[in-house]
Amino acid sequence: MTKQDDQHSPTSPVFLGLIGQLLKGPAKVLLPIVSIFGLWYLIIYTSDLPSFVIPDPQKVLLSLIENRDLITEHFLHTMKVAGAGFVLANVVGIGLAMLFVSLPVSRNAIMPAAITIRNVPYVIIVTVLALAVGDGFATKVTVVTLAGFFPVLVNTYRGLQAVDPIVLDRMRILDASLWEVFVKVRLPYSIPFIIAAQEITGSASIVIAIAVEWMISRTGLGYVINQGMMAYEGELVYAVALVAAVFSFAVYSIIHHLGQRMNWAENNDR
Amino acid sequence: MSLSVSIQGIGRKFGSMQALADVELEIEAGEFVSFVGPSGCGKTTMLRIVADLEKATTGKVLIGGAVPKEMRRQKKLGLVSQRPAVLPWKRALDDVKFTQKVAGRVGFPADQLLRDFGLEGHERKKPSQLSGGMLQRVNCASAIAHDPELLLMDEPFSALDEMKREEMGEWFARELEVRPRTILFVTHHIDEAVLLSDRVVVFSASPGKVHEIVKIDAPRPRDKSFRETREFIEKTAQLRRTLFHDLAAGA
Repeated sequence: MTKQDDQHSPTSPVFLGLIGQLLKGPAKVLLPIVSIFGLWYLIIYTSDLPSFVIPDPQKVLLSLIENRDLITEHFLHTMKVAGAGFVLANVVGIGLAMLFVSLPVSRNAIMPAAITIRNVPYVIIVTVLALAVGDGFATKVTVVTLAGFFPVLVNTYRGLQAVDPIVLDRMRILDASLWEVFVKVRLPYSIPFIIAAQEITGSASIVIAIAVEWMISRTGLGYVINQGMMAYEGELVYAVALVAAVFSFAVYSIIHHLGQRMNWAENNDR
Repeated sequence: MSLSVSIQGIGRKFGSMQALADVELEIEAGEFVSFVGPSGCGKTTMLRIVADLEKATTGKVLIGGAVPKEMRRQKKLGLVSQRPAVLPWKRALDDVKFTQKVAGRVGFPADQLLRDFGLEGHERKKPSQLSGGMLQRVNCASAIAHDPELLLMDEPFSALDEMKREEMGEWFARELEVRPRTILFVTHHIDEAVLLSDRVVVFSASPGKVHEIVKIDAPRPRDKSFRETREFIEKTAQLRRTLFHDLAAGA
């Protein structure tokens, strides 16, 4: 047997490694499902909680199928709020970070206010905004933005400051404009930092959007949870939770995946 | 094309500390001049003032008859720093091209330059994939990619281990024959200064000023064998005496 044949025989390490690779994808999806449902059944059979507190998974799936139109409709509302809030959080966060770097005095002026806003309980912001501009789309998006911009701001600012001063000397000796330094040096330097912030803000946007809907809205997954709760329909609440969790996980995965491809600090093959 | 440098009565104060006082120095076009001296003698500050990266408190610098800022605007200056100023996300070839893009001038074809610098086969590697010596070569290539007429080098080989450092010095001496230009070179290493320079300027500390200028007349090209000549040994010894005896005693 030649060496090459040996590599492809069913018992060779290369071959087993290949099988492992092939199984990796499905295993990544299957293992979480097994562990989540396993834990779920375990709690049902070992605790005496009533079924509207912790319903059977099959009832939840049934409810998901029965209520798919309702859930889809409200899911789309939530997605819009979370999506718009996420984008605005980035616009505000990255924009402020750029302002702070190019005009240091602005940092002293704005940062205390930003920290204050970040530390006000969202319940109060929601209440004030609802009184001021009503319980519509704008209020919900504003709350998601306010809740999400801070990690983006702090990380982007740190990233823009992370530039090696020696590289700034290099740019200066070449008489590069401030704009060139910003676009070609500072921004790329901050990409790993901005990506890290997206993983936080992305999931937070969804959670906050649902929370706000739960409080004030007549649309969105938060509202459906509210309805399910009031009707003691535990299955519906859990069905929504399932949708939200899958959605949140998907968003996180997409951001993480895109992030790894854009992140020069972790990627040598691009 | 190369540029002359005229340093006229340069002084620099940091708070109450006089880092440089009354530095006078005329550097001819195409000349290689090293600055050596004890730490804190202001040799790097002097280089940065010529580069227009720092302002002098008194005096002025003229490069080819113009102020440094003007020469910087015309992209006629190049800078090699001790730590490589490469961009961590750029491949070697792209990093060299980056200089040319920002300067708006292709001095030397980037791929040719890297090949001449012994980096053939490494053009598509990123900084994290290159060794210290190779990285410093990329750094040098990026610094002269736009063909600056005055090259300022701040301890470019000091971060390398001793063997690598000597090797890089010899390589750079050969490179000088191919692409000659005016060079100001800050170093801690006497042998490096003697090997490469036409003149070695010894700075004394607090305040930093020119203490002695040693001329190295040996013909070029100079290579490894120059290290074993009488002139090399004598000049090295002379500089050692000045640095370790005269200046140490004064301090």
